[in-house]
Amino acid sequence: MKLRVTVAIKLAASFGLCAVLFIGLAAVGYRTTSTSLEQAGWVDHTHQVLTDLAKLLSSLQDAETGQRGYIITGLEDFLEPYKAGLAQEDVHRKELVKLTADNPNQQRRLEALEPLIKERLALLLQGIELRRTNDFAAAQKFVTSGTSRKEMDETRKLITAMKDEEEVLLKKRDAEAAQSAITTYWTLGLLALGGSLFTVIIGVLLWRNIAVPLQGLTGVAERIALGDLTASVATEERHDEVGVLTQNFQRMTQWLQSMAVVAGKVSGGDLRVQVTPQSERDVLGNAFAEMVANLRRLTTEITESVNVLGSSASEISTSTSQLAASATETATAVSETTTTVEEVRQTAQVASQKARFVADSAQKASQISQSGKKATEESAAGMNRIKQQMDSIAESMVRLSEQTQAISDIIASVDDIAQQSNLLAVNAAIEAAKAGEQGKGFAVVAQEVKSLADQSKQATAHVRTILSDIQKATSAAVMATEQGAKAVETGVRQSSQAGESILALANSVTEASQAAIQIAAPAQQQLTGADQVAKARESIKQGSGQNFAGAKQMETATHNLNELGQRLKQLVQRYKV
Amino acid sequence: MNEQKPRPVGPDKQKILHERAGALARAPVQEKADEATLELVEFQLAAERYGIESVFVREVYPLKQLTLVPCTPPFVRGLINVRGQIVTVVDLKRFFDLPQQGLSDLNRVLILNAPGMALGLLADAIIGVRQVPAAGLQPTLSTLTDARASYLRGITADRLVVLDAARLLADPKIVVQEEVEN
Repeated sequence: MKLRVTVAIKLAASFGLCAVLFIGLAAVGYRTTSTSLEQAGWVDHTHQVLTDLAKLLSSLQDAETGQRGYIITGLEDFLEPYKAGLAQEDVHRKELVKLTADNPNQQRRLEALEPLIKERLALLLQGIELRRTNDFAAAQKFVTSGTSRKEMDETRKLITAMKDEEEVLLKKRDAEAAQSAITTYWTLGLLALGGSLFTVIIGVLLWRNIAVPLQGLTGVAERIALGDLTASVATEERHDEVGVLTQNFQRMTQWLQSMAVVAGKVSGGDLRVQVTPQSERDVLGNAFAEMVANLRRLTTEITESVNVLGSSASEISTSTSQLAASATETATAVSETTTTVEEVRQTAQVASQKARFVADSAQKASQISQSGKKATEESAAGMNRIKQQMDSIAESMVRLSEQTQAISDIIASVDDIAQQSNLLAVNAAIEAAKAGEQGKGFAVVAQEVKSLADQSKQATAHVRTILSDIQKATSAAVMATEQGAKAVETGVRQSSQAGESILALANSVTEASQAAIQIAAPAQQQLTGADQVAKARESIKQGSGQNFAGAKQMETATHNLNELGQRLKQLVQRYKV
Repeated sequence: MNEQKPRPVGPDKQKILHERAGALARAPVQEKADEATLELVEFQLAAERYGIESVFVREVYPLKQLTLVPCTPPFVRGLINVRGQIVTVVDLKRFFDLPQQGLSDLNRVLILNAPGMALGLLADAIIGVRQVPAAGLQPTLSTLTDARASYLRGITADRLVVLDAARLLADPKIVVQEEVEN
């Protein structure tokens, strides 16, 4: 199997080489730099040795100075440099030993230096001790003896020798350093140049291999993005990603072109195309397939709907014409009701007026009935008074009757007396008859007695007739009184009835008045209602007129709809399903 | 009785007194030769006038407090007390079986005297004592019934029925004697 050199591998290789180059460069640089550093370090080392040597010397000098000062002054303060020098001397010497461990010469010298320094210091100390014992002269003498000078010179000599050697070393090392620096510069420069050249070459190769095809593809993609599907890519037999990309681009372009063809057909009205998606995830293909299917379905539905629309439009048209006709009828009917409404209105007006009039009359009648009620009450009171009078009359009549009865009794007794007298007379006559002749005188007496009895009887009869007349009159009066009383009662009852009737009348009049008021209000409302009805009628008329206009509009709209349906039909027919 | 006013002395009374005086002053000229006059007590009984001889009439008494007696014939109406004397009262109407029964106007009793008997006859009214000529009596009319026919003496010219008191008093029918069985 042929190794597919992918772009990744190429890139990796290129970058790897570059990396190797960089690493090499870095290594070289590191090496030279470390060398330089080392050399610099040696230089620095040498400088340090020199410094230390100087310091050592100075410390020795400080000690001496301190000693001398003390010797001169005798003050402990002036021993400070001495003490410092002592300490530092030791330190510096040890340091030097450490530093010059690599240089045997220097080590020898240092070893030789050590005792000298020791001795020097001992001498110094001696001097100090002498002075301490406040022996200035001795100390002075000591100093001037110059015993310490020799050690000092030796020391100095050694130190100087050390210094010289170190300086020689320094020079040598400096030269080496310079030389190595130059070497480094050259090496690095050459390497850098070579490396960059290499990198440039590789870059160019890569560019040609990858970037150029990609540019081509980019151009094609741009054109495709703009919609120009005529762009095509030159196919190469490459097996890396770019080649694959190119192939896929080609396939994609072909696919888009096929889609474009399908779209063109669909736009042309041929819905019979079949779209097969490339895969399940082919969004565009699926969408197109769905779109075509939907369009087909939609077109069939629209065709059906258009048919329905056509029929409906015709139906609407007929209904609209019917509506227009009925609107005209409504308008005529409304105008017919004009007169009726006017009459109703007038009637309502009249009713309202009449109701108000009735209300006023009822009010007056109510007042009159109130006064009538008062009059009835007065008449009832008068009737009661009359009744009382009648009752008193009846009582008088009763008394009269009783007295008449008494008179009658008296008359009866008188009559009885008369009868008895009569009997007596008869008896007397009988006795007189029995007596015969002697009884004639007695017979006359008897006769007189009888005539007396007769007179009494006549008188009695007369009185009785008078009495009966009186009785008749009395009874007539009593009857009349009773009748009068009854009449009065009747009158009272009637007047009370009249009073009640008047009251009832008053009530009913009040009710009538209220009813009239109640009638008056609705009558007024009726009037306003009639006005409103008239207005409503007007608005109905307007409305029906508008209805008519609307029906006309609807007619035209239906006509338009019909035409629209026809046009839709034509449009839909263009699409072949 | 209450105090009554004296009757007014008018010209009527004067006239009456004057007439009386004249009547008294007149001699009894009217006496006729016919001595056969009957003194009758005239009484009324049920729309008919009857007369009875005054010889037999003791007195006339008003009918008061008639006491009824049971178990007596129907014509015996009861008893009355005449000044201590008990008198039986008889109703002639029932005795003669006349119609028109009833105590309508009977308020007079003619007390008839008979030896050993006192009888009272009910009458409506006592008209008076009259003298009628005996010759004027006419025999009974045919219209009268038999019951009365036997007790009539006759009828006067003015239709006055004269009863025969003697026969009446002697009639055994009057005597009532009944015993009530215990």
